[in-house]
Amino acid sequence: MLVEMAVAAIRASRLTKDYGSGHGLFDLDLQVSPQEVFGFLGPNGAGKTTTIRLLMGLIHPTSGGAYVFGLDSGRDAVEVKRRVGYLPGDVPEFGSLRGSEVVAYLGGMRGRIDRPTVRALAERFDLDLNRRFREYSSGNKQKLAIVLAFMHRPELLILDEPTSGLDPLNQQEFYALLQETRDAGATIFLSSHVLSEVERVCDRVGILRSGRLVKVAQLDELRHIRVHQVEIEFAPGSEVPESRLRSTLGLEDVKVDGNVVTCSVHGSFDGLLHAIAGSKVTNLVSTEPSLEELFLSFFDEPRPKALPS
Amino acid sequence: MTSLLFGLRLSRWGITGFSLLALVLTFVQTVGFYQIAGHTPGGRAAFGASMTRLAAQLVVLFPPPLRPDTVEGYVQFRGFQPLVILFAIWALASATGFARGDEERGIVEFALAAGVSRPALVASRAAGFGLALLVASAAAGAGFVIGVATGGESVRAPGLIEACILLVAVGIACYALALLAAQLATARAAPALAGALLLVLFLANSLGRVFDWLSTWRWLSPFHYYELSQPLPPGGYFDVRGLMVPLAVAVAATAVAALAFIRRDLGAPLVRLPSGPHRLSRDATNIPLWRVPVLRGLYERRLGLLAWSAGMAALAAIFVALTKTIVEVLLSLPALLPYLSIFIHQQLYPAVLGYTYFDVAELMFAALAITYVARWSAEDTDGRLELVLSEPVSRAGVVLERMAVLVVAGIVIAAVSGLTLSYASHQAGIDLSSQRVIAASAMLVPFALVFAGAGSLLAAWNPRAALALVGAFAFASYLDNELATIYKLPAWVHDLSAFKLFGTPLLTGVDNRSLALMLLLALAGLGSSILVMQRRDVGA
Repeated sequence: MLVEMAVAAIRASRLTKDYGSGHGLFDLDLQVSPQEVFGFLGPNGAGKTTTIRLLMGLIHPTSGGAYVFGLDSGRDAVEVKRRVGYLPGDVPEFGSLRGSEVVAYLGGMRGRIDRPTVRALAERFDLDLNRRFREYSSGNKQKLAIVLAFMHRPELLILDEPTSGLDPLNQQEFYALLQETRDAGATIFLSSHVLSEVERVCDRVGILRSGRLVKVAQLDELRHIRVHQVEIEFAPGSEVPESRLRSTLGLEDVKVDGNVVTCSVHGSFDGLLHAIAGSKVTNLVSTEPSLEELFLSFFDEPRPKALPS
Repeated sequence: MTSLLFGLRLSRWGITGFSLLALVLTFVQTVGFYQIAGHTPGGRAAFGASMTRLAAQLVVLFPPPLRPDTVEGYVQFRGFQPLVILFAIWALASATGFARGDEERGIVEFALAAGVSRPALVASRAAGFGLALLVASAAAGAGFVIGVATGGESVRAPGLIEACILLVAVGIACYALALLAAQLATARAAPALAGALLLVLFLANSLGRVFDWLSTWRWLSPFHYYELSQPLPPGGYFDVRGLMVPLAVAVAATAVAALAFIRRDLGAPLVRLPSGPHRLSRDATNIPLWRVPVLRGLYERRLGLLAWSAGMAALAAIFVALTKTIVEVLLSLPALLPYLSIFIHQQLYPAVLGYTYFDVAELMFAALAITYVARWSAEDTDGRLELVLSEPVSRAGVVLERMAVLVVAGIVIAAVSGLTLSYASHQAGIDLSSQRVIAASAMLVPFALVFAGAGSLLAAWNPRAALALVGAFAFASYLDNELATIYKLPAWVHDLSAFKLFGTPLLTGVDNRSLALMLLLALAGLGSSILVMQRRDVGA
């Protein structure tokens, strides 16, 4: 009996795109399984969009190969794109076309338009398709791009920073849509530079730095990477639990200035909450560091001039 | 000052391109004069007479020349007069590009946010364009001076300076009028409205030379004031009104445009047309044309196609109406009768229509192809091609569909204009061969495809440079046709010009060899553009 092995939704084999001067993508080996939500994380210029364009067959690799459902994304580009929904990093200009016409135009290229799905997506994101593209705000343009990527219910979604420009409510709606799409059997590959976003929606995360994949992590591992800068203000006259804070695992760089404490929280907040339990806290501010700062602390990268020491 | 420098920085390619164009045009025409007319008085007199004949046919475009038997008179007619039209087109593109294009791109918003007032922004851009015109006009003058030096003669400086200043004056007046018109309409309609205004003003003046009823309106046109002077030729004259009126128009129109800009919202027109209540929709449009390859491209460009068809039809009707007048003018010149006798027996009208209407139609179809190339380049650079290629369509399919859209659009426009030409000729009592009209109109399509093929290749190779390069290619093709005979270039070099290959189909029918060559050039461009498109990176 012949046992058919599951073909990877995405496979990159020593995939390289060299733009010169150290820019591009180098020796990417990656595999994404069907029905997986894979996040591609990296700061600006790390090579996320280059990877996505290579997967879409829009640019040609310098060496190596990119495969989607076992098909060569360059040679079999048309067949690949039949099975893929794509959301580009920058929504292109459609000038005076109405949203409904953009949908019909690009949907027409696929041969048919799944009208109920289009309607459901437009309603879900409260997108008026009767407006002209040039009248759309940047958020509405992004919503239209989401409709275009999801409207034919593809097996694989390749999304380049899909939540950029969306307000928080629509971001939540988008995360819910991702969940439903994955539950319906689709594979999702998305790029982001927001750690909490990929942590929220992805099963696995690839971390890209200067064109090279530095880590592929499961969600649990990602939580160890996660760092928050916290500032806690205690009520005037109340006791600051300094010794408990300093002895709590996962809290680092604890500094006390009067009734204000600052520290870094690595991973879970449980330890911090336990340490301050019973104290009168008047204010607590938690800030997620930028990816640049995260890379500096986690991967011990050289510090750019723009960042404070 | 910063706004002025920023404006100049933004238009550096326009300044470079039009300055080069002006330099090459006047230089080539000057050198061409020495090549054709020679250096003997007899040769020059004969050449001047032939130029007078040509000018009579082109009276609808350019005023009659003064002393075309001299290099100054010839270059005033063949160099500086066409530059007026080119500078008006530049003014149109530049004014609407600033007034609405930069606004759409957010550049105007940034400038205003930086503390520049609206009047100051308008004034700085207008002044910047004035400086740009000065540079380009000086380049035109330099081309003439260098050309004259090759002929071993000298230039009368005051006349040349006056000719250059007049170019600046009419150019800045066109800029200001286009700027004002652009304030009134939406971003989408602004170029069309401003273009229509300049076209009407141009035609009011040029047709006013032929139609008496229009002559009373010529004073409205800045082009009319340019014609009040012919300072370059010996015995030429300079009318100070030709300088002052366009400058006054420029100042007044710029001031009104600034006022309009103050009063309107950013991104909105000054005049808002009332629209019906907005109907919310969550559906894709039901129009089935969007699903059909080629038809979807035509449907998207339907307004443009309508405008091109109507414009070409109007041109055909106007040229037919002019033909009788032109022929009467030609017949009234006793010196031309021996020359015209060649065309007796019904050949005169096809000859005149062939040399006037179809010459203009060639330019229009070249422009049509260039606008399509501009569109292809824009689709590439603004990311639309990337999104299209994320659909299950091949790159070759995209290139072929683009070209097919142009072919069908060209056929529609050629058919509408050809039918109008036939109908108007019949109404005017001009007997034209229907077959020849069909053949000549149809020839415009492969003619446009030569430029489209080259443009397709350039857009596939380097979309950002494609528009400038295909424009240069069209100009080179035009010059090739103009200069091949003068410089006795090899036949194969002359054959590379689509303008030469088009021939005179209304008069002599279609030359199958030329048609085959045009199709071959177009196919070569198309085939190579498919190959280049397959190999290149999109969106990178």
